[in-house]
Amino acid sequence: MSRAIIEVRNLRKEYPVEDETVVALDRVNLAIPQGQICCIFGESGSGKSTLLNQLAGMEKPTRGGVRIGGVPVSRLSERELAAFRQKHLGFVFQSYNLLPNLTAVENVAMPLMFRGVPKQQRERAARGVLKRVGLGHRLNHYPRQMSGGQQQRVGIARAFVTRPEVVFADEPTGNLDSKTKTEVMDMICAFARDFHQTIVLVTHDPQMASYADRIVTLLDGRIVDDRLNMPHQRSITSASDISAPPIKPITSTEPTANPRSTQR
Amino acid sequence: MRFGDILRLCRQNLWRRKSRTILTVLGVIVGCSSIVLMISLGQGINEQNEKTIQSMGDLSIVTVYTSGSGMVNTGSGTESVKLDDKAVESFRTLSNVSGVTPMMNFPYNVTLKAGPGGRYIADYVQVMGIDMTQFDQMGYKVVEGTQPTKTGQAMAGEWLAYDFMDTLHGGDMRYANRGDGGYSCTYNAATGQCEEPEDQDPFFDPMNTQITLVTGTDYQGDSYTMQMYGSKGGGSGSATQSETINETLSISGLTKADQSKGYATSSGLVMDLKDLKALIAKVDPSAAKKTTTYDQVFVKASDLSSVPEVESQLKAMGYETSSYEDMRKSMEEQSRSIQLILGGIGAVSLLVAAIGIANTMVMSVTERTREIGIMKALGCYVRDIRVMFLTEAGAIGFLGGVIGCILSGLISLGINLVGMTLFASMYGVSTRDADSLSFGQRVWQMLVGGEDVTRFSVIPWWLFLFAILFSTLIGLLFGFGPANKAVKIPALDAIKNNE
Repeated sequence: MSRAIIEVRNLRKEYPVEDETVVALDRVNLAIPQGQICCIFGESGSGKSTLLNQLAGMEKPTRGGVRIGGVPVSRLSERELAAFRQKHLGFVFQSYNLLPNLTAVENVAMPLMFRGVPKQQRERAARGVLKRVGLGHRLNHYPRQMSGGQQQRVGIARAFVTRPEVVFADEPTGNLDSKTKTEVMDMICAFARDFHQTIVLVTHDPQMASYADRIVTLLDGRIVDDRLNMPHQRSITSASDISAPPIKPITSTEPTANPRSTQR
Repeated sequence: MRFGDILRLCRQNLWRRKSRTILTVLGVIVGCSSIVLMISLGQGINEQNEKTIQSMGDLSIVTVYTSGSGMVNTGSGTESVKLDDKAVESFRTLSNVSGVTPMMNFPYNVTLKAGPGGRYIADYVQVMGIDMTQFDQMGYKVVEGTQPTKTGQAMAGEWLAYDFMDTLHGGDMRYANRGDGGYSCTYNAATGQCEEPEDQDPFFDPMNTQITLVTGTDYQGDSYTMQMYGSKGGGSGSATQSETINETLSISGLTKADQSKGYATSSGLVMDLKDLKALIAKVDPSAAKKTTTYDQVFVKASDLSSVPEVESQLKAMGYETSSYEDMRKSMEEQSRSIQLILGGIGAVSLLVAAIGIANTMVMSVTERTREIGIMKALGCYVRDIRVMFLTEAGAIGFLGGVIGCILSGLISLGINLVGMTLFASMYGVSTRDADSLSFGQRVWQMLVGGEDVTRFSVIPWWLFLFAILFSTLIGLLFGFGPANKAVKIPALDAIKNNE
């Protein structure tokens, strides 16, 4: 039995655009239990990226709040946020966002470096993860010497090297061809399952969304659909185990059963 | 983040934009070395000044004298102050005074004769009487021999023997470089240069030669009217002509020449005060009955820094004083202001270099906006980002400072070597010395300096330290703005899906 690790409560985000105010998110309520691969699905402009920014504490909400593991992310100071990201969050970006002057190992080891882990120790860990993503032969290559798929695998390794509780993946396959897309998604899911990590996947690609346990659909800043997914051969216990309808406030949401907690 | 990691990233980032880093560092090198060179030129002037002052003699000696209007206000009226034994005693009680001696000049013309039949003659010799018990306290130095121990003994100035001329050889004199800064050179037609003659031995060794002091006659034995050296001690100018007095003296030792302690220490006779008084009494018996007032009193301050204090105390007592302190001060001030001007010129170029650093850092922050966003998104502390950029800016300053110091050290060496050669050919003094030295020896001289070495550019070790610290500090200072700019970049920029 696992509590919701991510709780979104009555979230609203407005942007001032010239004289008008654009509402990017409105009345979003969401609870994501630990270990779930949750896809936030929507067209471009639906507010899904804004929601991700809110979840990761990149932006302050206009109203409402986000808690991750009970921590009010939206109210943390910059320093606290940095510390929180170091310990609990991982990121996979669409455009990989590797540092061009660092090798694969150094890129992967970077989050550990921010924590002050000694070089040898953190690079040993980085090499281990890189081998897992199949880049054991590319350890000391620079990003420009690698293909897009390889770079994204380095990105994934970097997101998982700290064993974070939550990994945010923003269109991780957006720049990849279909074969590599499958590889990358399989890899993310494999990591998540092995370490019982929560993944928030943002995509507009239905094929990618099908990898998730749950698909939350956004339209014009509101959640319009929230349903469980039965990807591939995996079975999920039942739809009723998953959280209450999105409109319902999070306080009334009972701790939800983890889809995979019954599996293991 | 560990500082080692920050340094490693800093090195990688600087190396990534090699040419830009090198150019920025080059700017700092130029700025730093111009500051160092400018200050070193000022230091060179300083060094020369110090040598000049040192050659003048003991700087801690204050000469006390009375002027015609030497009055002191005693409350009820003014009375003239006198330099008598009472005054000398009162000087001894002043604080920071380590020695006091009255100084009395023999007020008549003196001719010295030495050698067989009085063959060697020196005219117009100054004879000075001091309190021999204060000899050491006053800092008088003996070159050879000892202080006089009995009547009939006197000390000769270091160069006195060179003042004698040989009457049998048409007044020939022997030459020695007295090391007092006054060069006497003779033009050599063969080399086209003014050359300093070699040191010669004097006609006789004054230590082993009886010297006859003659007063009342000139060297040819004719009597002439009395010459007055001072108005005190020996009666008035209208005194009756003294008889010719012959006094045989043996020299107990030679005094080290020191202008501040009396010219006689260079080429005169120095004798004990009571011997001098006895001598005066022989010439003018009436003088012995008067109370003695002295021409001058030498007061030695316990150290250089207390000279002004001693002087002001003496002045408050109504005496006139003179010392090299004023000159030293004005020279110091002058060289300090020259140094400031020169340093200012150097500082301008370092300022330009600093702007270069700021420019480079601003560019670097702009280029790396995305990277900074990524690092922040991955949990890098704001503080670490700031430190990272400051380290880069500081490293540019530090590198420039170190290389600039090395460069300016070499340039300074070059200036000195060229200067030494030019100086030598200009004055013809040290040509011989310079030529006799190998290149390595010359370089060594330029580095450590020395008594006879003229250095135009002097870099003390602290100047290097200061220059490196200053360049680094300038780098940090001008890197601060860009670093703050970097800190403000939001993590969000990284996740925006732009390539």
